[in-house]
Amino acid sequence: MSENSRMDENDNDKKEVSQEKMFTLKKWNAVAMWSWDVECDTCAICRVQVMDACLRCQAESKKDFYGKQDCVVVWGECNHSFHYCCMSLWVKQNNRCPLCQQEWSIQRMGK
Amino acid sequence: MSLKPRKVDFAATWGAIRDTIRGVITLDHVPRSVWNDRFSDVYSLCVAHPEPMADRLYAETKQYLIDHVARLLNKVQEDGEAHLVKNYFTYWSQYSVGSQYLHSLYLYLNQQHIRTHKMSDAEIIYGSPDSSGGEQMEIGELALEVWQSGMIAPLGLRLVKLLLEAIDADRAQKTLPVSIEAIRGTILSFVEVQGYKKKAPLQLYQELFEEPFLNASGEHFKHDAARLLQERDVSLYMEKVKVKIEEELFRARRFLHSSSLAKVSQRCETHMVAEHLEFLYSECMNMVRGERRRDLSNMYDLLKSVQNAMQILVETVLEHIKTQGLTAVGNLQGENVHINFVENLLTVYNKYKQLIQEVFKSDQNFMGALDKACNYVINHRPNGGKCPCRSPELLAKYCDTLLKKSSKGISESEIEEKLAQSITIFKYIDDKDVFQKFYSRMLAKRLIHQQTQSMDAEETMINRLKQACGYEFTSKLHRMFTDMSVSADLNNKFQVYLKQDNIDLGINFGIYVLQAGAWPLGQAIVTPFSLPQQLEKSVQMFESFYHHRFNGRKLTWLHHLCQAELRLGHLKKSYVVTVQTFQMAILLLFESTNSLTCKEIRDTLQLNTEHFYRHAISLVESKLLWADTEELKETTVLRLNMDYSNKRTKFRITAAVQKESQQEVEQTINSVEEDRKMYLQAAIVRIMKSRKVLKHNALIQEVYAQSKVSFAPSVQLIKKCIESLIDKQYIERTAHSSEEYSYVA
Repeated sequence: MSENSRMDENDNDKKEVSQEKMFTLKKWNAVAMWSWDVECDTCAICRVQVMDACLRCQAESKKDFYGKQDCVVVWGECNHSFHYCCMSLWVKQNNRCPLCQQEWSIQRMGK
Repeated sequence: MSLKPRKVDFAATWGAIRDTIRGVITLDHVPRSVWNDRFSDVYSLCVAHPEPMADRLYAETKQYLIDHVARLLNKVQEDGEAHLVKNYFTYWSQYSVGSQYLHSLYLYLNQQHIRTHKMSDAEIIYGSPDSSGGEQMEIGELALEVWQSGMIAPLGLRLVKLLLEAIDADRAQKTLPVSIEAIRGTILSFVEVQGYKKKAPLQLYQELFEEPFLNASGEHFKHDAARLLQERDVSLYMEKVKVKIEEELFRARRFLHSSSLAKVSQRCETHMVAEHLEFLYSECMNMVRGERRRDLSNMYDLLKSVQNAMQILVETVLEHIKTQGLTAVGNLQGENVHINFVENLLTVYNKYKQLIQEVFKSDQNFMGALDKACNYVINHRPNGGKCPCRSPELLAKYCDTLLKKSSKGISESEIEEKLAQSITIFKYIDDKDVFQKFYSRMLAKRLIHQQTQSMDAEETMINRLKQACGYEFTSKLHRMFTDMSVSADLNNKFQVYLKQDNIDLGINFGIYVLQAGAWPLGQAIVTPFSLPQQLEKSVQMFESFYHHRFNGRKLTWLHHLCQAELRLGHLKKSYVVTVQTFQMAILLLFESTNSLTCKEIRDTLQLNTEHFYRHAISLVESKLLWADTEELKETTVLRLNMDYSNKRTKFRITAAVQKESQQEVEQTINSVEEDRKMYLQAAIVRIMKSRKVLKHNALIQEVYAQSKVSFAPSVQLIKKCIESLIDKQYIERTAHSSEEYSYVA
């Protein structure tokens, strides 16, 4: 304990000498991950994760698909979400949400 | 002279012609004018009036030649056996040239009379209905024919015996009884005498001479082999056999017709190599083990000529490379296992590749053996297959070491070279998917922690993998790469945004925004954490900036991957230390107080126990903090070390940087197992969807072929996947056979 108390004294000395802050944060390299803000990870139409391109896009754009997210997500007023590609094919046959059967109208699009 | 047909006195004209023939056939002097006159005489006899006398001329000439050869036969035999070959050759030389001149003299008869009566080529080859003996030949051919029946027929066997004796003498290196020229000339006369024949021109040579010669040589080779075998030394034996074959070929070139060369060497190889394979093989193992290049090269040359004889040598070499490979990578220990592993393997590979190129002339059989051996060594599972194969992991680590900053003392081109070489090993790996898992994890770490030496090198390497394995294999790696450049762009735009709105974050802020799903980071690692207030503004500003730019996205902060630079102002010198966010958060708490208990810190930061202790320990170990107990407990009091000093003013707290733990390795391997099942199930569904109905074995084969690029699935695993698809009602067994499946739409 005696050692500790000596350290305390030291500490106090220093503080008097310099009014500088003890720690200055100079730089912060942050890492974050983005994902679509959805309730369900998978697109109910093609059964692929919404983070990945939909089944069609995966098959078609194999060559120049360099991680470019062309295959975005779309939310309906009912708050259900799907691949935009999948949904635009779906509404040609049936203009209702495949999950809740409400009339489909787009609330927002992923970008 | 008139060309008009006229009456001719045959007896007188023939008399003149006969005298000239004698001169021609014995190569005597024939004056030009006489030659010309006889030439015309032949003509006038052929066109004589009222009856042409060509047939009579032909008959007389033939008779003359028969008599002439009979005379020569006597002369040849005059001096006895010892001079038989010499005399035969002398007269043959004369006669063969003479008969050519004679042929010219009878040009008119040949061209006008005989050729018109001659059989066509087709008739000669396939036989004609009236190939009676009365056929007339051109005079040159006639002369040869007469020689064959009048000279070779009675003398042939005697000559051959003498010739064989002479060749034996040559083999024994004794002086030859006759000149080489005479021997060769005599042997070749058997060919020349039938040179005009369109069908089987070598028949006489082959039957009369070649056959007995080969048989005699065969005996000789057998004896020679037996004699050489007595020394019981394979190396020596091979040397001598090689010399022997060379000698025999040389001899054959000196004496024989060129068609015999291959037969001679073939006989020699049969008797000296093929019949003693066991003896040669007996030393094979030692030769390969000792890598006796000269012996191996000899062995290769000798075995090459014998059908199916190479296999044992090939297999021995294969086994040897296997053993060498396993020794090179067995029992590796210490920090640099991965480097030793890859570089030792490459040394073995390059060594034997070179050996095969130099000694075995890049023979496909041996190249194949090298491939097989490498494949075996690289995918070898120690302990009788119980332990997993570590090659994918070690190779990924090797690449990681090369691509990381601080590869000490190696030039860029050397790194390139080594990376290119590592692809050689990569190609042999069966579990390419395992490699991919490890590689992508290490790449993620390099990118996030900014440890990449050169982005160019990274990209080149990814392209190499793509080349070897296809687009799908590297697509996630490419997406990680793209995230890096997208983030750089984002950072620039964020700075502009801040400037426009005159916002000062108080710190130098940079960020990587990663796309979920592309990075092998796992989901579970997002931990509760209350952010130090110094960072709140940055986080807020960036989130609003980001949401303004992108729609429908959410950001998850991965604090365990963030890093901060902190200036320490409480010490004698000022230091800049690079720490992880959690470490930074702990340190920042000491701004306002000197000592805190572990529990206090943890409650403030809301960190989970595991994270907290790991980072707290790292700070204690680096001596930035003092702890009052040996082991950290909830009640342990932590204090700032005010006497801390370090030689460097900039440093990094590394202790907490996660080491690749055994657990992580297991996780990786397990996740690979899951991926494989998914991959196989998808493949089965794809195949069945297009084929509708398929037999069990055919299905297994197709699945195997599809997945071979990234891993080698076991039949068991495929079966399991088929079972689970039947359970999920994707496919079913057909009614009439349990060995057949059909797709359920």
